[in-house]
Amino acid sequence: MADLEGILRPPERQLPPYPPKSIYLATGEQMVVRPAVREETSMLLEAIAPLLYVERDFYDIVAARTFAELLGWKRYRVKDEYCLVGLIDGQLVGLVNGRTLSSKVGISYHTLALRRGLRVGAHLFASKMEYHIEILKQKYVYITAESPIGFRRWMLEYDLIQRPDIPHELGGVDVWTLTPELYHAAKDRLVVGERPVPAPLLKTAETITIPEEAQLVQQVTGRAKKRSS
Amino acid sequence: MRDVAIIGCGMTKFGRREEDLLELLMEASLAAMKDAGLDHRSVDAVYVANMGAGILNYQTGVASALVDRLNLLPAPADTVENGPASGASAIKNAFLAIASGLYDSVLVVGGEKMRAVTGWEATDFVASMTHRQGEYIYGVTLPSLAGMFARLHMAKYGVKQEHLAMVAVKNHENGAKNPYAHIQQAVTMEGILLRPEAVVNNPPIAEPLRMYDCCPVSDGAAAVVLCAAEKAKDAPHPAVHIAGFGQATDIHAVYQRDDPLDLKAVRGAAKAAFEMARLCPQDIQVAELHDAFTILEIVESEQAGFFPVGQGHRALEEGATRLDGKLPINPSGGLKARGHPVGATGVAQVTELVWQLRGQAGERQVSQAVNGFCCNFGGFGNNVLAFVLSRE
Amino acid sequence: MEVPKGYQCKACGRVFHPKRRFCLGCGGDQFKELALEKEGTLLTFTKLHALTMDFTTRTLMLGIVEYPRGVRALGQLSTDKVEMGMKMRHRWEKVREINGQEIYGLKFYPASK
Repeated sequence: MADLEGILRPPERQLPPYPPKSIYLATGEQMVVRPAVREETSMLLEAIAPLLYVERDFYDIVAARTFAELLGWKRYRVKDEYCLVGLIDGQLVGLVNGRTLSSKVGISYHTLALRRGLRVGAHLFASKMEYHIEILKQKYVYITAESPIGFRRWMLEYDLIQRPDIPHELGGVDVWTLTPELYHAAKDRLVVGERPVPAPLLKTAETITIPEEAQLVQQVTGRAKKRSS
Repeated sequence: MRDVAIIGCGMTKFGRREEDLLELLMEASLAAMKDAGLDHRSVDAVYVANMGAGILNYQTGVASALVDRLNLLPAPADTVENGPASGASAIKNAFLAIASGLYDSVLVVGGEKMRAVTGWEATDFVASMTHRQGEYIYGVTLPSLAGMFARLHMAKYGVKQEHLAMVAVKNHENGAKNPYAHIQQAVTMEGILLRPEAVVNNPPIAEPLRMYDCCPVSDGAAAVVLCAAEKAKDAPHPAVHIAGFGQATDIHAVYQRDDPLDLKAVRGAAKAAFEMARLCPQDIQVAELHDAFTILEIVESEQAGFFPVGQGHRALEEGATRLDGKLPINPSGGLKARGHPVGATGVAQVTELVWQLRGQAGERQVSQAVNGFCCNFGGFGNNVLAFVLSRE
Repeated sequence: MEVPKGYQCKACGRVFHPKRRFCLGCGGDQFKELALEKEGTLLTFTKLHALTMDFTTRTLMLGIVEYPRGVRALGQLSTDKVEMGMKMRHRWEKVREINGQEIYGLKFYPASK
């Protein structure tokens, strides 16, 4: 059995770590973006589970796929996966994930904002691209979209190149690619944040807390907290 | 002409709502009727303000559907469409109907369900009111008209991005105190303008306007009950009178106006409202202006006569328009933070003034408010309505 | 190529674009067709980042140009390297496609290269 597990389990490669950064949001809150570790996946799965049934803005699709990807990472069934989390005072406000296909090619998986209206998704997606291009020094990032918001944000904002010839492993629509040239052309208007994160701030992001289910669904759907009389 | 009073008001929370348009309209209507102490037998007529259910929700004949749901049959009912000024137009119709002696008590409800479509479709829907051959075909949207307007105004009067951001910061601060607001979240000048992160936090929409210079796309409804003043004595709350009303139109294509910066319809509507009320801008203690874009709050505050033309941004600098200032503007959070379900906005402005004049505005209550003013801006200023409201 | 036109009120001389049934100045209903002048001045402009769904570009430049006879027109700009007061020349080009129909209109180019 141990041998079979060895066959099923992809070889682990140590990816260069994403150096944490802090982003000052419109509200004055500071979001720390840092890599999650495998031990944190259970908590992340718990955080996104309520979104599996939220149809609005394709949260169900994105949450279900992200859930599967993180579960795959947790149980050693995805190769070279990483996840970056956005935390405000330790509370999870969004996450992005992806993996590397080769040293030159990265694959962007998903972007999930748990708090909306603060551009958390835009900041985290930008952090993910920063990781692939600046830290992993990759030549291409394969990106696809499953929601109109994603399409508009990524494909148009970054002027991505459409590559119908490359299949994306999520299936679905075409691959769009980000190259270092496109990234650097867009960087000034899309990629922000400060490093290093001051120690006290980084400490707030050491332990992830997750929003309560009711609060999370309210944040994502905008469903009224209480009916007005 | 008989005096007309507002004896009840109510609204839904604005924002992204799961209910459909009729449910939102019902929620606001029932809240206003309850507030007015009316049952369904005492509603003589209904005016429903809605701009786009035919396009956004594939629902036409909204007023007819609503009176059925509310059991108000056979009350006469009309849907009023006047772009983003539909709400004030519906109130005007009710006002005229009561003033004329035809009806005694009328329900006015405005609502819109805009999040049924994507943001791009909503933007295009609103753009459909621009001049087809002269503006729309080029890709003009309301933010683009506001952007071109803002650039001209800023160059002429020395208004800076910071002034626009001051409007956003103020209105978000007020909105955070309004449980009905779409966005109940304060923002900081650092976060939306001064810090390097602001390029992402507050991206450009129609330069020089940025995201926080533009109102959100909202669902929601608001309702008021109007009544002949002589019959308003038994209402549970002190009546608020419609002391003045004004309306004016202007040239459709903004670029064809003699001076594109001169919002003649705002001036005309405000002047008429003040004249009817026999009041002047100095008599107003609270105003709700149509800040679909931050620049519009500044310019309307000038054109309505509260500040000299070209000085509106100075008043902002001095804090005159804050909740604790000389003339608080948009204590509700305005369109910027309360949200802008287009058909609901004019009714929501009046609702806020009623709450302010009754002293029911909670944390955002303006002190000593006797007279209030509101301005509902249709098109890009081509159809504007203004009201002056006074408490007993 | 179609030439974009101005319409001059025969009674008061005011010029409009596009065509109107009645003059905004005097109410006259007789107009003389004129070619829009070659060059105008850019009165104001915006770089629009929130386009409607049918546009596939990230941004769109829009501006209002004032011609010497006083008529103004709104159109798309060919570049974002512009400033207020700049001299612009128009061309009549495809500006949008609505439901598969190609729409032609004014596109303004900086007058000096």
